[in-house]
Amino acid sequence: MASKKPEQFDRVDWSELSESSRFDLSINSIGMLAATLPLALLWLYDYQFVGERGATFQAIGLGRNLDPLDYFFVFTLFLFFFYLVLPLYQNPRMTRYYWAEFRRNRPAVVSLGWLGVVFVGGLLGPLVISAPEQSILTGHQPPMFLSINEANVATCVGDVVNGQCQGTWQHPLGTTRGGKDVFAGVVYGMTISMQIAFITTTIVAAIGITFGTVSAYAGGWVDEIMMRFVDVILSFPTFLMFLLILYIYGAGLGMFILVFSAFAWGGTARYVRSKSLSVSEEEFIKATRISGASTYRVVRKHVVPNVASSIITQLTLLIPGFLLAEAQLAFLGIGDSAVPSWGQLLSAGRSDLAFAPWIVLSPGIVLFLTILAFNFIGDALLDALNPEAEAESA
Amino acid sequence: MTEEPLLSVRNLEKHYPIRKGLLNRQVGAARAVDGISFDIAPGETLGLVGESGCGKSTAATSIVRLEDPTGGEVIFNGGGRAGATRNGDGTHPNDVARFDDRELKAFRRDAQMIFQDPSSSFDPRMSVGSAVAEMLQIHGMSDRHRRRAIVEDLLDRVGLSPEDYDRYPHEFSGGQKQRIALARALVLNPALIVADEPVSALDVSIQAEILGLIADLQDEFGLSLLFISHDMSVIREICDRVAVMYLGEIVEIGPTDRVFADPQHPYTEALLSAIPTPDPRSTATGIELTGTVPSPTDPPSGCRFHTRCHKVIQPDDVDLDQSSWRGLLNLRDALAAGSVDVDQIRENVRTGGDLAATPDAVKGQIRHEFDLDETVSADEMESLLDAALDVALAGDPEGAAARLSERVTTPCEERVPERTSHAADHESACLLHERSSPPSPADD
Repeated sequence: MASKKPEQFDRVDWSELSESSRFDLSINSIGMLAATLPLALLWLYDYQFVGERGATFQAIGLGRNLDPLDYFFVFTLFLFFFYLVLPLYQNPRMTRYYWAEFRRNRPAVVSLGWLGVVFVGGLLGPLVISAPEQSILTGHQPPMFLSINEANVATCVGDVVNGQCQGTWQHPLGTTRGGKDVFAGVVYGMTISMQIAFITTTIVAAIGITFGTVSAYAGGWVDEIMMRFVDVILSFPTFLMFLLILYIYGAGLGMFILVFSAFAWGGTARYVRSKSLSVSEEEFIKATRISGASTYRVVRKHVVPNVASSIITQLTLLIPGFLLAEAQLAFLGIGDSAVPSWGQLLSAGRSDLAFAPWIVLSPGIVLFLTILAFNFIGDALLDALNPEAEAESA
Repeated sequence: MTEEPLLSVRNLEKHYPIRKGLLNRQVGAARAVDGISFDIAPGETLGLVGESGCGKSTAATSIVRLEDPTGGEVIFNGGGRAGATRNGDGTHPNDVARFDDRELKAFRRDAQMIFQDPSSSFDPRMSVGSAVAEMLQIHGMSDRHRRRAIVEDLLDRVGLSPEDYDRYPHEFSGGQKQRIALARALVLNPALIVADEPVSALDVSIQAEILGLIADLQDEFGLSLLFISHDMSVIREICDRVAVMYLGEIVEIGPTDRVFADPQHPYTEALLSAIPTPDPRSTATGIELTGTVPSPTDPPSGCRFHTRCHKVIQPDDVDLDQSSWRGLLNLRDALAAGSVDVDQIRENVRTGGDLAATPDAVKGQIRHEFDLDETVSADEMESLLDAALDVALAGDPEGAAARLSERVTTPCEERVPERTSHAADHESACLLHERSSPPSPADD
């Protein structure tokens, strides 16, 4: 370090600086690396040293096991934190501007609150609440403040008044036929829903953005071929593909996420391509190019951020589709029955709808609210992140 | 010029291929810039002026190599490259078009650009300070605090406050953004700045401020400036020399005061006459250019301006009123291009009240549209015009055009004008001057 630094642009000696350090990572990337490394090591340990059936943390006496989906989920959470939440904190001015725009949409603010509940519940709930367990004797317990005819329950956990079994705080939302606690089921379902939301978004965004920008910047025949491939992806019957895989390999939640997101990025790629083409015509891109920035840098620092803000909207509107698809498959009985998702809960309660509607209603309402919330937020984000679009519609 | 120019552009060409069909075969080219040459001395401001679509901006982007030129040389002698001589094979070591990646990156520090539209020249998702500091980062300054110090100092110099570093483009007005654009262009301490219509999107009062700032900074740091504009009054304000461009070519170049006082090319005259005069009693009307605006994909033969020139030359044996001559040429070109719709004109005459629409009335209407209301002063021409219009009315516009072409021809469409020198540094390319000057031995 020189003792006296020139602090004016015309006193910079470029010959001493040029090409010195090409590799300077942002704080975000350093944080991302620092967080991902232990995760990767843990996965390696789990994969190499812990048996197929052993729990990941058995060495320190915890029974919690992590499967590949959990690792990927945590990884996407890191991505979300270091490249979405942290930048918002780093750029308070922009954040305040976005927030002021976002706040004008009241339903979206309420929706954000609800998604916050689902997020925190899904993340921390499983640590606090034990997983719902089968207990045939306490099946069909009513939720709190409701009651059910004694004839329908094997054992009533609460009081029996006038032949009606009353709900208890032990099972605030009642239990299923098999005696699984509905509240615990809803909370565990939040985890599943968050996993679906985060992982699919990450996969779709990663493939879509890469494919779209490469296609836009390559041009010519490459562009043509890539876009025709997108047409194939978009017209592919994903559901039939999933059924086929289900018959051949059996389909867990991981497979569901993989198959559905692998065929969902077509629209995103197309959108990113057209948006990149229009952004790359902007003068600020020329101004960056004229400063000697490489195409990679231009794309990463200017094209992708400008494209990303508009595809965030598209992605938030994609998530409800995945959640619904999962619920539908589970309801039809071709979902992953080992996973306590909302869809599984719905399907568990469908035969008892006549006398125990809470089993279907609780996860149904939660699913409905979550999907509604995503839609509201998508709308509000469109307005907050793309002032031009709003100006056009106004 | 005795000292070496900072930038020397020689026969620069940028042709955009036009491709058609399944196999993308090249069927032609838009000759956006077609062989322009000029020099810029250190510390000098050269104005490049012309109407929209004449290739000014393409020239700019080709010079700084945002786009690769298709021909010619851009020789840049700044950034420690002075005094280079040509290589054995005739190429120049300082030719920007031949720079390798490393040289190009160094050149990027020495030549910067300011763009026209302040609203799109900043990334809306990046604070303006980071946008300026990014330039430093790209060129290897990894010390974040040093970048910030430099940029804050620079923002102060262009008339903003250092606190503006963290603000976003949408928080600034157009004039402020243009100041920041100036800061961004300056931050790498370039020797040359190409300003592509930097003030055309601004209010007149703001224009003056920005022009003043540019002039101050230019004096302070000895910058050379290539200033592109379509506005002659802005050019007069800031430029030492001016080059007038028409359809990809430079038609006149010279010191600003000389060009403004004594324009030599008819196109320059027309541009100058378009400057509003502050005198309300002034009755001088602008020169109105008639004729079709040609496309750069198919530029006119000879002098490219001949299709619109108000001083287009008449053959030696013709001596007509200049406006009639212009009208005759326009009529001929319009007939040849098939843009005179006789049936439509006849219909218009009918709806105008003259139900008979006699051939004379229709002819009169056509003559009116081409400013040929009065009888053409030469009998021979008048009868030719009448005969040609008869052919056109009979439904054969090409025949009419051919008929007119027997006599209505101008040397301007046959010969490409050479550059003639009028005074020191003042050159123009117009056949009028070649005629008045003694014929060179090369002529017949």
